[in-house]
Amino acid sequence: MSKGPAIHTRDVRRVFESRKGFFFNELVRTEALRGVDLDVADGEIFGLLGPNGAGKTTFTKILSTLLIPTSGTVEVLGMDVVKDAVRLRPRIGLVLGGERGLYNRISARENLRYFADLYGVPMERRDRRIQEVIDRVDLTSAADRRVEEFSRGMKQKLHLARGILHGPEVLFLDEPTIGLDPKSARETRKLIRSLVADGVTIFLTTHYMFEAEELCERIAVLSRGRIVARDTVAGLRRLVGGDRTIEVEAYGFDEGEVARLKHIAGVSRIVSEEFGPKLRLTLRVGTTDLSLDTIRNQLTNHAELTVRERRTSLEDVYLDLVEEEAT
Amino acid sequence: MVARSYSRGRSLLAVMRLAVLTFLADPQWLVPSLIAPVVFGLVSYELFAGSGPWFVLYAILGAGMMSMWGQTLYGSGWATGQDRHLGTLEPTLTAPTPYLYIVLGRVIWNTLAGLLGGAIVFVVVAITYGHPIPLANPLLFLLMFAFVITTLAAVGVVFAAAYVYTRYAGFVQNVGEFAFYIGTGCMFPVVLLPFWSNPVSLVLPPTWALDALRYLAIPGYQGFSWGFWGDMAGALGTTALYLGIAGTVFRRVERHVLEAGDLNDW
Ligand SMILES: Nc1ncnc2c1ncn2[C@@H]1O[C@H](COP(=O)(O)OP(=O)(O)O)[C@@H](O)[C@H]1O
Ligand SMILES: [Mg+2]
Repeated sequence: MSKGPAIHTRDVRRVFESRKGFFFNELVRTEALRGVDLDVADGEIFGLLGPNGAGKTTFTKILSTLLIPTSGTVEVLGMDVVKDAVRLRPRIGLVLGGERGLYNRISARENLRYFADLYGVPMERRDRRIQEVIDRVDLTSAADRRVEEFSRGMKQKLHLARGILHGPEVLFLDEPTIGLDPKSARETRKLIRSLVADGVTIFLTTHYMFEAEELCERIAVLSRGRIVARDTVAGLRRLVGGDRTIEVEAYGFDEGEVARLKHIAGVSRIVSEEFGPKLRLTLRVGTTDLSLDTIRNQLTNHAELTVRERRTSLEDVYLDLVEEEAT
Repeated sequence: MVARSYSRGRSLLAVMRLAVLTFLADPQWLVPSLIAPVVFGLVSYELFAGSGPWFVLYAILGAGMMSMWGQTLYGSGWATGQDRHLGTLEPTLTAPTPYLYIVLGRVIWNTLAGLLGGAIVFVVVAITYGHPIPLANPLLFLLMFAFVITTLAAVGVVFAAAYVYTRYAGFVQNVGEFAFYIGTGCMFPVVLLPFWSNPVSLVLPPTWALDALRYLAIPGYQGFSWGFWGDMAGALGTTALYLGIAGTVFRRVERHVLEAGDLNDW
């Protein structure tokens, strides 16, 4: 039997209206999602990438039945997330993560037991299953300690354990490594990879390109409530301008210089950023003909000038995309 | 796939278990639900002892009621407010068990705990003053007691719904608590209250139930002018009203919070 997509959305919009001001008399309208179309295949690990405020959490909550979209079609495992929410809930898992969301006064094991009961994990398998997920997220020695004693990384592991406890077919992870130290973040990513091996469809959001690159087969970039790119990692690499990236650093550039660089044949865009006391220009170059000396020749009169080429990273592509959308 | 569906009974038990564990982890509830009412009961005894045994019973019933109320209202509403505060409301709503059963489980536990609290107040006062408290009709009294508990639970469910609905419910509850102690006649006989406060008293089912309880326990008691059966009708009517409100509210509350998207605000 061939399965349809695990996630299917068309033109999803979500507007938030909130009241501000001392008398709540000022109505603020935020369009968090402005028409999102997405398909995620069964068994895939899909990454939704975007900066803060892009709408990642909003979209994740809609997919996991926690928020009703203002309009649009949203189906998970072939079920409508609003109409079939009750039937869908036992088949999906959601990990929002963070410091909150756990009963702090009781142990990790008791937290899991409570949710195992609410999800109806079969009685005869419950305690074994709880031990299984505890071992899996590597909380074995801390399982009977109160959650309030847990570090941020341990809490994240417990969030993950709860997310997979009932054996969901689709798992939603909203910024699973945010706020974690590098070691915990690495362990979390390892765990996520191992889940895909089990056949679970994973939808994760992140604002780190390298994380999406490391984990995901396909990536969509969300910016201000719209998907601005959607491709495989390799496809995204080819997406913006050429494949070459040239960095130029000096103690400041005048506008004339930047304009001259822009006019060199093959230079598709220039991003400037402060880099300590220096200024760095990052050039995207679409031709192999351009030599670094051509650039140096445009920039005389600099006491300290560095011109070097590096591999275009996915991070560059991502920043380009998000910036393009913003301007 | 490990789980397919939930069972209501199992969910109720799980919620009660969580409530007990949370209670044991932080037994601060002993203050409103036990210590305050016991003190109130003992003081009442001192105040009313000269007026005869029935008057003492009158006061003690008020104290017991205060205990049960503290537990039911605080326990049910507070635990739900706490879900908001801890950020556990979202994972709980993602689980297949409808939130109504989470609240019902809490109300049942709190009501049982309140019942125990009420009984303790009764026993402590009786033991302290070493004289048995008379009961005119013990069996009916017990039945009636169970009924009072139900009326309390009905109000508890409505308050819990309010907590799911909005983070401002705490404010409503604090006002409600005050109105309750005075309004239902726990502290003073309702007839002593100014006329304008009567509507407040009359919409709270426990006002009627407590008055009925006093009719039952105290010979010659004069409460509301409609007598025991009048009280019973009032208690049943208002309880039905509250349960009706709770049922309707719950169906809408879940939809509302999923639309508003402010489950995580506190
Ligand atoms: N409950 C809410 N009420 C009002 N505005 C909200 C609410 N939730 C999110 N928003 C707004 O919607 C936009 C998207 O937010 P969010 O989905 O949290 O983005 P992300 O997770 O990508 O950082 C932001 O502008 C945010 O302020
Ligand atoms: Mg977010």
